[in-house]
Amino acid sequence: MALTLTCPVCGKRNGYEFRYGGEDKGPKPDGFGLTPDAWCEYVHMNRCVAGIQKEWWCHKDGCGVWFTTHRDTLKNLEVDPMEAPS
Amino acid sequence: MLDRHKPLWGKPPQLKKSYDAVIIGGGLHGLATAYFLARHHGMQNIAILEKRYIGFGGAGRNTAIVRANQRTQANVPLYKEALDLWPVLTKELDYNLMFFNCGNLNLLHSEAAVSAARMAIASAQFQGVKSHLIDAKTCKEMMPALNIAEDITYPIFGAMYHPPGGIVRHDAVVWGLAKGAAKYGCHIHQQTEVTGINVENGKVVSVDTDRGTLNTPRVLLSAGGYSAAISYHMLGIKLPISVLNIQAMVTQPLKPILNHVISSGAYHAYANQTLKGEIATGAHMDAWPNYTTQTTAYYIRHQAQAITEMLPCLKGVKFMRHWSGLADMTPDMAPIMDGNNLIEGYFMNCGWGYFGFKSCTATGKYMAQFMATGECPDILKPFHLGRYAQHRLMGETPALVTYTADN
Repeated sequence: MALTLTCPVCGKRNGYEFRYGGEDKGPKPDGFGLTPDAWCEYVHMNRCVAGIQKEWWCHKDGCGVWFTTHRDTLKNLEVDPMEAPS
Repeated sequence: MLDRHKPLWGKPPQLKKSYDAVIIGGGLHGLATAYFLARHHGMQNIAILEKRYIGFGGAGRNTAIVRANQRTQANVPLYKEALDLWPVLTKELDYNLMFFNCGNLNLLHSEAAVSAARMAIASAQFQGVKSHLIDAKTCKEMMPALNIAEDITYPIFGAMYHPPGGIVRHDAVVWGLAKGAAKYGCHIHQQTEVTGINVENGKVVSVDTDRGTLNTPRVLLSAGGYSAAISYHMLGIKLPISVLNIQAMVTQPLKPILNHVISSGAYHAYANQTLKGEIATGAHMDAWPNYTTQTTAYYIRHQAQAITEMLPCLKGVKFMRHWSGLADMTPDMAPIMDGNNLIEGYFMNCGWGYFGFKSCTATGKYMAQFMATGECPDILKPFHLGRYAQHRLMGETPALVTYTADN
């Protein structure tokens, strides 16, 4: 069962059209006074949630838009944001 | 006969109240570490906790290929030792691991790839690993089934030939190491899930499981693809890991045609012929994290196209089985081996991506030394977790068959 994702522009499409952009880690940290540890935390560190997570995707082979969505990593299925934990 | 079957590692042992070391994960790295702790360091009061059954994860889901032609000076010696240990362990364990050093042929499809291979070969030779460059004609002589025509998608320019590599029977390694560890008195607890790691005053004190709490001063996290989630959920320690699914498949058994392991970065495929005659071939990974171990028609089709361009005689041969396993990928495609720094008595061995199978023997040996003495062996020092914050990532990314979010 392959992944399908809902692009905000193109609608529901095959998951292989998209590029994964990582876990949603909030806004990019302010460069002023940024420590190597804080930058490493933002760039490299992941929670690797086994369950529902909010994440970034790009519709690479489509309209090219970047968007966030919720997906269950245990089922490899997109989740309705209304059902996702905040 | 079947109902009297007794596992090589004996009857399930009783769960004790305390152990000198607890290893989370009954895969190859966990079993190997337990074996070497018991054999080399006299620590026999060890529990291996496995949620499902030993060899459920990457140990049973790989394509059985072993090699030591990595790229960086830190990685090559570790893989070399791992490769050298197969025949040693076959004797020590008194169990046939079916190591077949048929050699690896890494196909090169451009001048740029040939140049990159020259550097890898120089690194290998510097470390005493046999590896050399051969041209397309020699490839054809070594493997007559290979298509060296110029009108295919990625014509073959040559290959990096690594004679000491090959294949090992993966189930035999699981069973052999389990047998060896159990012989020294290590307890292998299957169907035992770790639910928590308890820390007091910065020291590991016990591990909670669904069968009770075990007191222990040492814990090794060696749970393969599940390590990063365990680390974050149980200790709040985030790791620079993305857990992807890598897919593989085998064809119906054939007479011998592939006498070497072949791999191709451009076709994104690698293949070897098992001792049963099946062509085992590895493929892409879905470039987004998930824990499903699902396979997709998308990559089966890709694999059929790639393999039949390189080996046209396989056209019409059927795939018999396909499967998928978890690969915990780090940004530099090198593992994380660390311990005793964040929490005293807490050791981690993870982030192996899809290199965990070929490295398990040497890793087990040195992680055992690390856990027994508390001193990190020199060979493991470059793999500490702190390298990411120091921006000292290892240069393993241009590996033989690379995986990024883009491919």
